[in-house]
Amino acid sequence: MAEMGGEMGIEGPFWRAIAVFRIASLAYAAVLLVRAGGYSHPVAAWAVIAVMAVWTAVTVVAYPVVHPAAPPARHGWPLLVADLAVTAGCLLATPLAQTRADALAGTIPVTATWVAGPVLAWGVSRGRRAGAVAAAVMSGADLWLRGVPGADVASIPVNGAVLLFMAGVVVGHVAQLARRAEERMQRAVELEAIGRERERLARGIHDSVLQVLALVQRRGAEIGGEAAELGRLAGEQEAALRALVQAPALRGEGSLDLRELLRPYGTARVTVSAPATPLVLPAETAREVRAAVGAALDNVSRHCPDGTRAWVLVEEDGQTVVVSVRDDGQGIPEGRLEQAEADGRMGVARSIRGRVADLGGTVTITSSETGTEIELTVPLARQGPGSLARQAPGPLERRASGRRKRV
Amino acid sequence: MRVMVVDDHPMWRDGVARDLTEAGYEVVATAGEGRQALRIAAAVRPDVVVLDLQLPDLPGVEVARGLGVSENPPRVLVLSASAEHADVLEAVKAGASGYLVKSASREDFLNAVRRTAEGDAVFTPGLAGLVLGEYRRLAAQPPSAAADGPRLTDRETEVLRLVAKGLSYRQIAERLVLSHRTVQNHVQNTLSKLQLHNRVELVRYAIENGLAELD
Repeated sequence: MAEMGGEMGIEGPFWRAIAVFRIASLAYAAVLLVRAGGYSHPVAAWAVIAVMAVWTAVTVVAYPVVHPAAPPARHGWPLLVADLAVTAGCLLATPLAQTRADALAGTIPVTATWVAGPVLAWGVSRGRRAGAVAAAVMSGADLWLRGVPGADVASIPVNGAVLLFMAGVVVGHVAQLARRAEERMQRAVELEAIGRERERLARGIHDSVLQVLALVQRRGAEIGGEAAELGRLAGEQEAALRALVQAPALRGEGSLDLRELLRPYGTARVTVSAPATPLVLPAETAREVRAAVGAALDNVSRHCPDGTRAWVLVEEDGQTVVVSVRDDGQGIPEGRLEQAEADGRMGVARSIRGRVADLGGTVTITSSETGTEIELTVPLARQGPGSLARQAPGPLERRASGRRKRV
Repeated sequence: MRVMVVDDHPMWRDGVARDLTEAGYEVVATAGEGRQALRIAAAVRPDVVVLDLQLPDLPGVEVARGLGVSENPPRVLVLSASAEHADVLEAVKAGASGYLVKSASREDFLNAVRRTAEGDAVFTPGLAGLVLGEYRRLAAQPPSAAADGPRLTDRETEVLRLVAKGLSYRQIAERLVLSHRTVQNHVQNTLSKLQLHNRVELVRYAIENGLAELD
């Protein structure tokens, strides 16, 4: 049973409980039969009990085995329908064993509580609606058997039907909750494992490859000539590799840390500066800001001579996010932006101003012969000043250890 | 000028030590591990420690902190390939007076060591961005906590933002019509206030938790 539980995950215990219930109900039905002296037709009654016993054995074995192609813990309809049909059949076979007089005297059908088995199975396997459907089928059969027309709403059969519905719906509901909780748990465990593996890789790469690439870059620049070009390439690879191994931290649904989106722009020529704490924005806003920054940097590499450097600074003050992109190029000639915009071919104007305006922000472009600065200001409206609250542990918690008498 | 180099990568350690020696500095010790570095530093008393944050046995931040609480603490220049931005900020708050990325050129590096030795803060645009962010974080804390937290003056904010945007001190001085020295002082102040706040917080924490006796 232990490995069965493992294979079935959270549902193993449900199936075990249902199996126990079926076996106990079977025994109960047999005891009732014996105490009633075999009803009116003992042979038929015992035959029904025998069928019940065989089917109990079948279900105990069949249910805990999930079909490999089925989604987790879902059983094929054939088994579920067969379960319902066989059980209803046993119930409907009651007239063979009991006379009408038995039924009217209040004797319960041969199957007794055993009929709840498939109701529970449907609930656990397919959820509370399926549980209700199975309960309806079984109750319908029961009520039909005992002659509904005359039945009083307070009668034992109606009580039984209500209990069946409750069993199907409640067990189905609980099984769904359990399954969902298990899936979430599973996902969390996977994400954690991925994160840890990434960290391990990042550490390894950091200690070896990145150090050597940085060294090649530095020495290359010192030697000059072709070596400088090699050094520059090494530097670019270092930045790319570092961006790759930086594990993106998990953010809430639909939000992104703007720093993580902008950091990949950092190269030997481009410096990206940002706070040490996450700058969480709605995903859409963050992506638009990234695209605007990308357009600004494209503009630098397209219009400025090789070797022009650029700096990206990301700031947040509780109400707005300010991203500035500065380069030390030759600047944009007076009137050039307006002219280009008028000609209908301006990347900066359309791409940056358009995107930022859509976010309710503003763009300031200042240019002189020592370079150009583009400043994007985007409101945090949807985020609120509270975004600063969920941040790295305060200075105190981190620093409490190892400095006792010194202070 | 007595310099110590702490880096776990032998190639780097030797390269940095050679550069320093050629430039006329006395490299009094090198270390590849944090605890060893603290022991050696206590014995040889360097003036400047060039510190990598990625060490095998002890986080570089702890080494910076350990060096900061010694008698006649050396000045610490963090030289790191570290992408752990929070680490760099922590190291600076713990007392390091400068930060340089490993990919910086030799001239930049030697220049940074010289300025560190002279007691100046060495800021990269990246460090300026981190420090700006830290002041914003402190300012955004609940009023009671923020009341006694450090604040930047408008001028300091202005200077720090220009550093973060890649302007040199000379360019900043020109743009704001200040002297080079004044710009340097503004930058230095932003760091000192942060470090002082950090120490005050530590003391308060220690007293509240009965870790220290006032004597």
